[in-house]
Amino acid sequence: MWRTRLHLLHMLTGVLIASLLGIHLVILHLDAILGFFGVAATEPTSWQSMITRASQGIWAGLYIALLAFVLYHALYGLRGVILEVTTSAKTERIITWSFIIVGIIAFIWGAYVPVALLSS
Amino acid sequence: MTEDGPKQVTFKVQRYDPEQGNSPHWQEFTVPSSRGMTVLDGLLYIKENLDSTLVFRTSCRMGICGSCGMLINNYPHLACHTQIEEFHSNTLTVKSLPNMSIIKDLVADLIPMFNVHKSIKPYIIREDAGEVKNPTAEFTQLPQELDTFLQFTYCIKCGICVSACPTSASDKLFLGPQAMAQCYRYCADSRDDGQPERFSVVSTDHGVWRCHLAGACSEACPKGLDPALAIQLLKRQLVSQALGLRKKQPPPSVVSPPTETKPKIPFPEFTVKSSK
Repeated sequence: MWRTRLHLLHMLTGVLIASLLGIHLVILHLDAILGFFGVAATEPTSWQSMITRASQGIWAGLYIALLAFVLYHALYGLRGVILEVTTSAKTERIITWSFIIVGIIAFIWGAYVPVALLSS
Repeated sequence: MTEDGPKQVTFKVQRYDPEQGNSPHWQEFTVPSSRGMTVLDGLLYIKENLDSTLVFRTSCRMGICGSCGMLINNYPHLACHTQIEEFHSNTLTVKSLPNMSIIKDLVADLIPMFNVHKSIKPYIIREDAGEVKNPTAEFTQLPQELDTFLQFTYCIKCGICVSACPTSASDKLFLGPQAMAQCYRYCADSRDDGQPERFSVVSTDHGVWRCHLAGACSEACPKGLDPALAIQLLKRQLVSQALGLRKKQPPPSVVSPPTETKPKIPFPEFTVKSSK
């Protein structure tokens, strides 16, 4: 039954990615439209703006959550594609553990910057 | 020759004998075809008149036994259920069902499909095993409860859905639409308590979540079943179970079989009198 839960999580992360990525894209690239609604955003794609955002708890949390959701969604999906052409249980285990290790390393690497900025 | 009279149709048949060690090859036969003639009739003509070594599986000739599934003009059909005229062509290609190994010529190996079918326990499983072994009464079932799975009871296990399925083509361990539709058929049965046993079989990396919902199984099924729908409904059951939303159905009540039956309708008189 836990495979059903993993697949449910895969679908749920897809929805969450669409929501969080939507927020990310609106903030970064639709600043003119945001300005029309009274939300001031000066040069949101500049380095300083990015560092300022990542230093705030809510934005750091959003980026870390987005990273976790994207990694899970992408790696679980890719694992599914590869398992479809795999017929050996041993190979499946190797693929699964490889993806888990790659995911953990990528998450630590990606989350390092906002965590470091928050703690500084 | 009239419009309904015989015309010549070329059957391009794939021949293959694994015991001979040669690779599959094509052989052409010219068959006289008339209106209403099925592909199976054409193959029987070849076997009886042109080449008795041609091997194919057939039994009922009326779309019930599911023996004569084969790939006709690159689409899986029952040979007995497919008329030559349907193709509007003077040439027919006939080969064994894809996604299955070939035993010989047009005979596909259905044993792996039957083994998967057996693995989902296609029978009523109940918690009160005593009542099943030594029944004292009958389990009731409302017509609307029967309607939830009735169409899936018409499966003839011909393997056409499995051969049409693109996931079965790429994933050799995929359970396939036939078994999963039957899994739903029994899980949806109000008399059944075997969901946990079957869910553990289908909720795997090569089970229901591998289905891409191409719908090819439903399109190809010669009995008009919708296995893709069954898989989707099975997914719904699994999700409900995983989220704890699945309500435990009350066990069906048992009723004693009727002691009195309606009087039998008398057998009609013979309309043709015996000459003796």
